[in-house]
Amino acid sequence: MRGYLRLILLPSLFCSAVTARPVSYTGGWTIIEESDRQSSSALVHYTPAPSWSIGLRTEVNRDNDYAIYSVHPTLLAKRWFGKDYQGNLYFHGGIGVASGVYGNPLRDETAVYGGIMADWETRSLFAGYRSRYLDAGHFGDQFMHAARVGYAPYEGDSGDLHTWLMLEIDHRPAEEVPITATPLVRLFKGPLLLEVGYNLTVNQPLLNFTYRF
Amino acid sequence: MMNSSRTVACALLAALLSAAPVAQNHDHHDHKHEQGGADAMHQDHSDHADHDHSTPSDHTTEASNPTGNGDAHAVLTHTDDIHAALEKGGEPIVADVMGVVCDFCALAMNKIFSKREEIAAVYVDLDTKALNLVLVPGATLSDETIEELAVQAGYRVAAVRRGAQALGNAS
Repeated sequence: MRGYLRLILLPSLFCSAVTARPVSYTGGWTIIEESDRQSSSALVHYTPAPSWSIGLRTEVNRDNDYAIYSVHPTLLAKRWFGKDYQGNLYFHGGIGVASGVYGNPLRDETAVYGGIMADWETRSLFAGYRSRYLDAGHFGDQFMHAARVGYAPYEGDSGDLHTWLMLEIDHRPAEEVPITATPLVRLFKGPLLLEVGYNLTVNQPLLNFTYRF
Repeated sequence: MMNSSRTVACALLAALLSAAPVAQNHDHHDHKHEQGGADAMHQDHSDHADHDHSTPSDHTTEASNPTGNGDAHAVLTHTDDIHAALEKGGEPIVADVMGVVCDFCALAMNKIFSKREEIAAVYVDLDTKALNLVLVPGATLSDETIEELAVQAGYRVAAVRRGAQALGNAS
């Protein structure tokens, strides 16, 4: 069963995207790849209704040599609309299997995680927050949260290349270096979103990619 | 410690899975349902016939609010597709949309609205925060349907203008 689950989820490792709008339009699909100082992940999700999405997610924790293969629902709990702004509050979570990788001999475990995401943006300003608590059994548990601010130096119209300059501060209390800073550039055009950054504190690259269709 | 934290995580996940559908902010807002007359609309089309429609924003303007309260309304943005659909006699519609701030917003509405057979052309203008539609000649699409389609895309319509008002030529 677990091997079958991995087989289903494996292709998502070769796809990519970011948590910009983790719930899409009705009937929409989204592919999201994220890679930060600790882990790399891929999520493919489908949006049956504008209030929630359901997806399959694979995450590889490079520090602790395990992977999580999970079913990942996201709920848009609240969206605030304004003429010039939009705000969102999401709950996200997942349940699946944690499994050793890179020679890690530990047996498979059930893994669960959950957290919130919130963002507020205009066409030139962005603020966001996300948190997650993960329990992966004997692979360990983990809490992290991160805040991000961004500024778009120009306002592109539909179909234009949109450029954002952002700064993310993340806090992982259990890590040797708990607080780090990552400046990044977000490029946005049509269904594609690409984020490239570099964690200045621990010298790790950040690469996020989203494709919506 | 591990068991209790796992219990908390399971509870969070259970709450997420059982949560009620999203409560989007549907505060009361005004809907303008003015209908432009067909004659006026086709007169408006001819007014635009000699214009250069090479860029979407060439003809994007904001018309004075007939109510005189100082607000301005977006009028139809003329892309090539919009112009071609107007030339065929389709009804122009402009809907002000709340919260349209990025290309994913535009993509969502383009995807939802372009599936409808009543719609000949669609363009989301981020500058004017407006959904621009031109219907297939003879087709109709109610304001309520437009609002519902916007909800499916994840957004909310604040006002709908048609015909001459959509083109900014209402007297």
